[in-house]
Amino acid sequence: MKISFISIVGGAALLTVGCASSFPAPTQKLADAESASRSARELGADKKTAAQLNLKLADEEIEAAKAQMKAGDNRRADFILLRAKADAELALALAREHDAKVETVKAVDSSNAKQNATTNGAQ
Amino acid sequence: MMNFQKIRTGLVVAAVLTTAACSATMPPNELVTARSNYARASQGPAPRLAPADLDSAKKTLDLAEASFKENGDTSETKDIAYAAARGAEIAESRARAAEANALKDQTIASTRANEVNRAQLTSAELAKTKGQLATQGQALATERERREEAERRAAQAAADLAKFASVKQDPVRGMVITLSGAVLFESAKWMLLPGAQTKLNEVANALTKQDKDSTIVVEGHTDSQGGDAMNQELSQKRAESVRTYLVSRGIAADRITATGFGPTRSIADNASPEGRANNRRVEIVVKPKQ
Repeated sequence: MKISFISIVGGAALLTVGCASSFPAPTQKLADAESASRSARELGADKKTAAQLNLKLADEEIEAAKAQMKAGDNRRADFILLRAKADAELALALAREHDAKVETVKAVDSSNAKQNATTNGAQ
Repeated sequence: MMNFQKIRTGLVVAAVLTTAACSATMPPNELVTARSNYARASQGPAPRLAPADLDSAKKTLDLAEASFKENGDTSETKDIAYAAARGAEIAESRARAAEANALKDQTIASTRANEVNRAQLTSAELAKTKGQLATQGQALATERERREEAERRAAQAAADLAKFASVKQDPVRGMVITLSGAVLFESAKWMLLPGAQTKLNEVANALTKQDKDSTIVVEGHTDSQGGDAMNQELSQKRAESVRTYLVSRGIAADRITATGFGPTRSIADNASPEGRANNRRVEIVVKPKQ
């Protein structure tokens, strides 16, 4: 009876480990999340207020996912990377939005300056 | 006592069941946020400017809803819902960026169009100014040619006259042609001598070579012999005789006038015969156009 209980617990444990390790390591999702984070940083997301938080979250989530993978929980890592990629891509979008707005303000200011110069020159 | 225990056990069971039922129906915060974000994004510019991103967010939200329906409030449902919420925010951000880019492009295009318009206006004004300068330059060249021709003809006329008359260039009066009174008239007469007409023909010929815009004054002068009134009248009539003859030889009447000065403008001493001879004279003054 005792042997039988140990066999059952051991079998269950082996089954659990087997299930956990049967989930493939989300290496592609990790690469995608890291790529998005890198792109956001190249666009200056780490220096732009609107994008800073999401980039920080993405980086933390990537690290958390790596820790889960190291611990053997690839499934959990896979879902954490879902968050990481979403945050990194949002940081990237916000950085681009910031740049687009800055360029637009420059264009409007330049146009106004030229208009004023023409008006003053015509006086 | 038994009844109380039964009631208490029943309440506990009911509370447990209620909690379980509520937890099964209450969506996690991540899903609530995802629904809210998607609804907001759908009502903004994202459907028009970032439709692919909004569609992607909708598909992720559908997955989160399905996960919640099938598995309940699990960490996986929360993760998917979290990604859906971010997806909706991405769609909104890209739509705002597209709006900014459109405004920038529109501003740049408008500025360029204004610059082109200004450049065209400037070119037109420049061409107009060039045309005006060319016209003015042509007018100046014509005027210069006219003056040079007039000067050349005047010089030629002066050279012709110098053969039989005194010709001087006075800086104030202009060209002064002096003819001796003895050559033109008998003493105390104002009728031209036959020989005078030959001289005056030459004068008329020379005057026609002068600038057509110049004015001519025929001045009659006498010596001091005789009364002043008589000399004044004589000088006036002699000047008019000369003027009339010159007009008959082709000098325009409106260019030429006659004036008698009597003995008032002597150029020599009236005490000697030679001086009086010099004072008896006709001066033809040609004044160029100012």
